[in-house]
Amino acid sequence: MLSCEGLEKRFGDVVALDGATFEVRPGRILGFLGPNGAGKTTTMRCIFDLIHPDAGEVRWNGAPVTSEQRLRFGYMPEERGLYPKMAIREQLVYFARLSGMGRGEANDAADRWLATFGLADRATSKLEQLSHGNQQRVQLATALVHDPELAVLDEPFAGLDPIGMEALSETLHSLAASGVGIIFSSHQLDLVEDVCEDVVIIHQGRVVLTGDLATLRARSTRRHLVVEVDGVPWAPDIPGVERVETRHGRPRYLARHDTGIDRILALAQQEGEVTRFAFEPPSLSDLFREAVAQ
Amino acid sequence: MSGPTGRLAQIWHIAMRDLKQRARSRAFLVTMVLIVGLALLMGQLIAWESGKTPTSVIGLTGQVPTGIEAALDSAASAFDVTIDVRTYPDTASAEQAVQDGHADVALIGTSTMVWKGDPDLRLAAIVNGAVANLERRRQAADLGLTDEQVAALVSPAALTNQRLTQVDPEAEPRRIGANIGTFVLYMAILLFGQFVMMGVTEEKASRVVEVVLSRVRPYQVLAGKVIGIGLLGLAQVVILGGAILLSLTTFHIANVSIPSLGGGILLSVIFWFLLGYAFYSVIYAALGATVSRQEDIQSVAMLPLPLLLPAFFISIVALEDPNTTLVRITSLIPPTSPIVMPTRMAVTSVPPWEVAVSVGLLLASTYGLIRLGGRIYAGAILRLGAKVRLRDAWRAAE
Repeated sequence: MLSCEGLEKRFGDVVALDGATFEVRPGRILGFLGPNGAGKTTTMRCIFDLIHPDAGEVRWNGAPVTSEQRLRFGYMPEERGLYPKMAIREQLVYFARLSGMGRGEANDAADRWLATFGLADRATSKLEQLSHGNQQRVQLATALVHDPELAVLDEPFAGLDPIGMEALSETLHSLAASGVGIIFSSHQLDLVEDVCEDVVIIHQGRVVLTGDLATLRARSTRRHLVVEVDGVPWAPDIPGVERVETRHGRPRYLARHDTGIDRILALAQQEGEVTRFAFEPPSLSDLFREAVAQ
Repeated sequence: MSGPTGRLAQIWHIAMRDLKQRARSRAFLVTMVLIVGLALLMGQLIAWESGKTPTSVIGLTGQVPTGIEAALDSAASAFDVTIDVRTYPDTASAEQAVQDGHADVALIGTSTMVWKGDPDLRLAAIVNGAVANLERRRQAADLGLTDEQVAALVSPAALTNQRLTQVDPEAEPRRIGANIGTFVLYMAILLFGQFVMMGVTEEKASRVVEVVLSRVRPYQVLAGKVIGIGLLGLAQVVILGGAILLSLTTFHIANVSIPSLGGGILLSVIFWFLLGYAFYSVIYAALGATVSRQEDIQSVAMLPLPLLLPAFFISIVALEDPNTTLVRITSLIPPTSPIVMPTRMAVTSVPPWEVAVSVGLLLASTYGLIRLGGRIYAGAILRLGAKVRLRDAWRAAE
């Protein structure tokens, strides 16, 4: 289990991390979420000692992370990059060996990951000869080639089409099933809420929400309310229901979880025919807004 | 993988990757073949050119003494000159031949030598000597002397040469060898230093360095890159030096063994290349880490030249005059010592303690540079965008 404990980091006057604390559990997929500039990349760089925190510590199973242990982690940085003119299999073997694998082991691992991503027939192609999507796959394979116990992926879904997102999501789930702890960052909360089991939401360098996503949603005191009467969005004007934002030209409403559904439905039916009614746990975005507002 | 063995293995993997990638690049191979080809060709050209002994043409006309051709030949061989003797029917045609450059000199009878311009004194001496010799033989024969008496009379006095200072037959070849060695050394340090710089910037520009640094420490990347490209440099120096040496062995210089002389210089170049390269490549690596794009390399690639160029120029001075104070001092201290000291050593005998001081200072300052350059590298390599100021890079790394 990876624990980040009270990480603090300043860059000049900018506070990047302000006491970030959270855990990544083995076999779980953790969504590390937050707006741009929240401190996600800085945190990940701290995990790999690419940045030294001003205060706080990164620990693995209770002890400070050593460089040997760090070789058992895999990292996909936000700034993608490999050697453009090097054959992709050669790169995978190189990084596997850099992570401590023997020659045979590294060759096998490279072949296995190329096959996994359907790139076996491109093994000798240079990276720059591949499509953008395939380059992204090789980047992910590089992070995973040495069978890490922990995968740290910075914005892995960025730039993927829906099919690519689906495939990546499957890869992450099968990795987690094999016991790998996964932490991935994203600033697109809505896009990834189906992927992660645990979430850490970070805002201005501080963790504002952390835990099992299903539990967090259920535990929230808010519910997402969607009502349409005669096909027109509608909301009751009663205490406990508030309009939070207008999105795509539509108002969104949040209700307290103890606002009676029956009462709202009854009020709606007085207005006309109810064509849509939803009273659901809040989305990640709602949770985030809630957490930030506190 | 754990402990120091693992770290060394990582450095080795990095070194081998850099070595292979650079050695496989077409640009490198083409340059290599061209340079070696040029070295071989130049050696052959020089050998061929210097092996050619010029032939002087002597034209004869009028009443020349009998046996003049044999006399000219023997006089010419005494001067180590090859001559070609031609006979012209009359003075006009002989003069025309000289005028047209077909003959270097025309001997008219026994009285006049015709030149196109100023006389060639050596050729004049040959012709004069031959004519005078024949004249003396004729007079001696008139006196009724026997052949032995004539020979004794006309044979030159057997004078021996005594040199007040011993001339070292190796001095000139040594100077030429040192000249070539200095140039190769300077070019190799510059070229492979810049390769290190390019390698560092390439990794930063392609962003791959963050993937690498998630696995190894910055100093390991730096060390691996310097070692990998250094080994390639070493291979190139050995191959190029070998090629030059090979092509020079076609020369024959009395009392000089070119393989042993050149081999000594080559070993010296290799030794000082390793020291000088280690010193400069760290500077190049640190500078390479401060820029994020290949296009920006130009802005920093020139920075080490004010250190490297004076070393080269002072070495050229040292070839002629290796014992001036400037040469002595610059051969002892970095950044000039890795080029000036071997040049000085090649052309004069340097006290061993001075060599020891030079090597010691260079090693010590290289160690300091590795600490300094390593920290600048670590502080700058992940800072993308504008060129990183050295001071900021220093502060960023703790």
